[in-house]
Amino acid sequence: MEFKTRFLRHTQNLDAHTLPLYCHITEQSPSNATSLAMMQEPQEVVEETVTIEEDPGTPTSHVSVVTSDDGTTRRTETKDMSANVKVTKMVKTVTTRTVRQVPLGPDGMPLPEGSSPLGSYTDSIDRRYMKNGGERYITPQATSTLTRSYNNSYNDSYGETPESQYARHYGLHDGYADMTDNYGSLSRGVNFRPPRYPYMPNSYRPENSYTLPIRKDDYGHVAQPQVPMGSSSMDLNRSQPERFQPEPYGLEDDRRSLGAEEEEPYELEPDYSTANRRTLQGANRGRTHREPLRDGPRVRGYPDDPIEAELIDERHPYIHGMYSAPLAQPERGSMASLDRMGGRRSPSIDSIRKDPRWRDPDLPEVIAMLGHPIDPVKSNAAAYLQHLCYENDKIKKDVRQLKGIPVLVGLLDHPKSEVHRKACGALRNISYGKDHDNKVAIKNCDGIPALIRLLRKTNDMEVRELITGTLWNLSSYEPLKMVIINHGLQTMTNEVIIPHSGWEHEPNEDSKPRDAEWTTVFKNTSGCLRNVSSDGAEARRRLRECEGLVDALLHALQSAVGKKDMDNKSVENCVCIMRNLSYHVHKEVPGAEKFQDPSALQAPGSAGPQRKKKDDAGCFGGKKAKEEWFNQGRKNGENDKNYDTLDLPKRTEPSKGFELLYQPEVVRLYLSLLTESQNYNTLEAAAGALQNLSAGQWTWSNYIRATVRKEKGLPILVELLRSDSDKVVRAVAIALRNLSIDRRNKDLIGSYAMRDLVSNLPSGQQRPAKNLEEDTVVAILNTIHEIVTDSSENARSLIQAQAIEKLVAINRTSQSARETKAASHVLQTVWSYKDLRNALTKDGWNKSHFQPTVTATPKAAKNGKPGYDDTTLPLMEKNQGSRKCGSGDMIPLDELGPDGYSTIDQRDKDCKYKTGEGSVDLTEREPLKNDTNRKHYIRSNRPAVSLVDACDVKPQPVDSWV
Amino acid sequence: MSFVPGQPVTAVVQRIEIQKLRQNDHLILGFSIGGGIDQDPGQNPFSEDKTDKGIYVTRVSEGGPAELAGLQIGDKIMQVNGWDMTMVTHDQARKRLTKKNEQVVRLLVTRKSLEDAVRHSMSNYPK
Repeated sequence: MEFKTRFLRHTQNLDAHTLPLYCHITEQSPSNATSLAMMQEPQEVVEETVTIEEDPGTPTSHVSVVTSDDGTTRRTETKDMSANVKVTKMVKTVTTRTVRQVPLGPDGMPLPEGSSPLGSYTDSIDRRYMKNGGERYITPQATSTLTRSYNNSYNDSYGETPESQYARHYGLHDGYADMTDNYGSLSRGVNFRPPRYPYMPNSYRPENSYTLPIRKDDYGHVAQPQVPMGSSSMDLNRSQPERFQPEPYGLEDDRRSLGAEEEEPYELEPDYSTANRRTLQGANRGRTHREPLRDGPRVRGYPDDPIEAELIDERHPYIHGMYSAPLAQPERGSMASLDRMGGRRSPSIDSIRKDPRWRDPDLPEVIAMLGHPIDPVKSNAAAYLQHLCYENDKIKKDVRQLKGIPVLVGLLDHPKSEVHRKACGALRNISYGKDHDNKVAIKNCDGIPALIRLLRKTNDMEVRELITGTLWNLSSYEPLKMVIINHGLQTMTNEVIIPHSGWEHEPNEDSKPRDAEWTTVFKNTSGCLRNVSSDGAEARRRLRECEGLVDALLHALQSAVGKKDMDNKSVENCVCIMRNLSYHVHKEVPGAEKFQDPSALQAPGSAGPQRKKKDDAGCFGGKKAKEEWFNQGRKNGENDKNYDTLDLPKRTEPSKGFELLYQPEVVRLYLSLLTESQNYNTLEAAAGALQNLSAGQWTWSNYIRATVRKEKGLPILVELLRSDSDKVVRAVAIALRNLSIDRRNKDLIGSYAMRDLVSNLPSGQQRPAKNLEEDTVVAILNTIHEIVTDSSENARSLIQAQAIEKLVAINRTSQSARETKAASHVLQTVWSYKDLRNALTKDGWNKSHFQPTVTATPKAAKNGKPGYDDTTLPLMEKNQGSRKCGSGDMIPLDELGPDGYSTIDQRDKDCKYKTGEGSVDLTEREPLKNDTNRKHYIRSNRPAVSLVDACDVKPQPVDSWV
Repeated sequence: MSFVPGQPVTAVVQRIEIQKLRQNDHLILGFSIGGGIDQDPGQNPFSEDKTDKGIYVTRVSEGGPAELAGLQIGDKIMQVNGWDMTMVTHDQARKRLTKKNEQVVRLLVTRKSLEDAVRHSMSNYPK
């Protein structure tokens, strides 16, 4: 291994370069993963929740955003980086101060003698760069452009013949041969080729001409703005001839190295492939029209593009410059506009931009360019729009008002991939944001069917990502959900969900079952479906009945469980869809009435034919499983249905479609997710799915409730009560409540879960172990109520868990009417057990404690206050959690890093901070310790949960072995 | 390594060439990466500048190819085989490193100790 220290000129410009690429896919709805939990009064039994949406603006979504842009990002960077090859070669000359320091570095470069010529040289270049090239080439990753502009200006200012330049370069490089070499190979990596240009001066001409076609392409890009705009780009052309001279360092080099990478996934973009193809096929073309430029266009003939030919014709005075300097504007086509944008953002460039010859096209012009007859102009304009729209709601609005959206939507049907891709990118950015008018505008010009059409048509991954990203964005707006379902549900399912899930309609017995692929497309699509699945009963019905959807989602989840890859966004989306579709299954599924509470004893014949086989399987499948848990007022006859997995194959047909939603097999899946996943949203959704399925009084929910117990799911759920995520606790609590409809479950939960339930309750004086939202507290109280109802044993465990004190405190001091009420229900139930009163009075309680408080609020002031201050804590925890979860997620970092961010410490700090800040008395210390202890406990038992504390709102940082 | 957007950044880099090791069907490099523009940079324990979304080496397996090549925990990866890594998503970086058809990976990494060393030597250089 060599150890060479080098100065790498590394230009990072976050602004211009990346931003446009950072398109946001995941739009999130304002209603942040709202649960439709219909919190009911304790008397009622069943609760169900629906995950509605993506959570707005979670960084997680950012992830998808960025990744979805892989292609674009990659592409641009590719160019830049390959250009680095040259940058590095000339690093001494190009850069300013730093560069000149190079020789002083450890390698002891022989600068001193060369310094004076070099210095002035550098200076002139710099100036040149700033003044001239800079303006155009301010790419964020300006390396490439820098270099090239350097080249240009170099030639420009020195006006030497290429050969002499060669000599010069050569000498220069020679001086730094060591460096050059290393650099070259470094930057080029595998694609490194010996620097042949300097040594083969003659070769560069042909090389140049190879690049001609590219130039031609670029020319198109550059020049076209002239047509609609008629103003600024003339200047550009005028400036060409002087700027561009044949250049020693051909772009060719770059192109070639790019070409080598072409087969890679990221380089699928036609951008490159076309570039290369043209390079090859254009070699001849290039040569031919190199000389006879004037009549070039005609000689050459662009049969497929007469307009362009015409254009070139018209403008040939300027063509000369363009063509003779093919190397000058490498990224013109795709990046030119963006480059200029960079200038806008970078203060150092502002001065340059004052150059009167240059001006950015204004928005109406850009939009007009979308309708330009030449395709590259269209795509360029769309790309520029995408860039402009990035995180700029004003521009999005302007685009809408300037009627740009229908034009973009129109371009979706454009046959050229470059055009519809860029249009799609622009639409994705436009569709992102809180401004629903943009989404509506897309919908109003039939953008949704157009997107779906394109999805059916294209095989380009990047385009598919853009489409599905746009759809995801659109799906966050309620009124569009049904439109998306109507136009795109089956297409999305067939085109994306099913293929990527690995599920096969008719599994070939020979072939191994395929695993799901967590592609961006799949993530986007599942996110979109997740959003639309919350649009009420009709939406649920459509999704359930969408052929293959449930099957594929289940398959994907099973494959996730199998691969132990359960923390990603796609899984989260799938589970959320499943959860939403599980909501109200017992009411909404065709034929559900037949399975309603057996006490209603409906005639079996009343069900639809579809149900028959179910019946067979269910009702007459077997008699062996007489479970005690069925004895809660159920008649044996109905309850004998066998839910054992063993029994399932006995069905005449395997269940499919929506039936899969509530088959007892899914219990194992959800329990696996609950055990393994570290993603709070996934945990919440899986618990919510169980909650939904165990609700209701139909046969299947009986099965589900029993299956959860049989699959040893109760301990898993109880353990999750210790989760630090509020919503996980809530979903689990409600699930436990529904599960305890089953008598056996109720006994078990009463014995084993009581302490964990109680520990989640706040108490008036003490800092609660966790700072749970009102909803969660109410949910826990309701669960406790359900558990102690009809079970004096459980009420006794409740007392033993020291819950009375907390309940009384909530009852008396909580500022929340719902909490007060729920606590009061529990207390009344407990008091109703006469055999327990003795014990209660011994503990110093009397009847008044168990009666509803008349007015809860006045008293709440003192004690309740600190408790409510705590509601700010979760926020803090989130902040802290972000760091914490950094270490948590990169678990090994934690171990290896200098100061592992201990969760405990963190927590301690939180608490101390809290303590220092609030007016708190000593009693608070105690829960603080409890808290810490609890952490220890969790840490040892379930590091996953505690380590990713509060991560649900953060992107889960990943750490990948390579 | 902090930078001002729009301004060039200079970094002292080390070139590291890692021969991939074949393990069963997999080619491994023996280190793990964290970071990327899609990740929360604030959670990166190695970066000086907590807004740095670069790719960092988070673990190096003992005796693995990466360790042999001199890669260290906390190194910031600037390039992989010439591809920029300062402005990529986590996944892009991962994919770039795990090309099945590439036996060798050439990295350009920077680390604080390098920069310090250079700074030191430069400050001592007689002007």
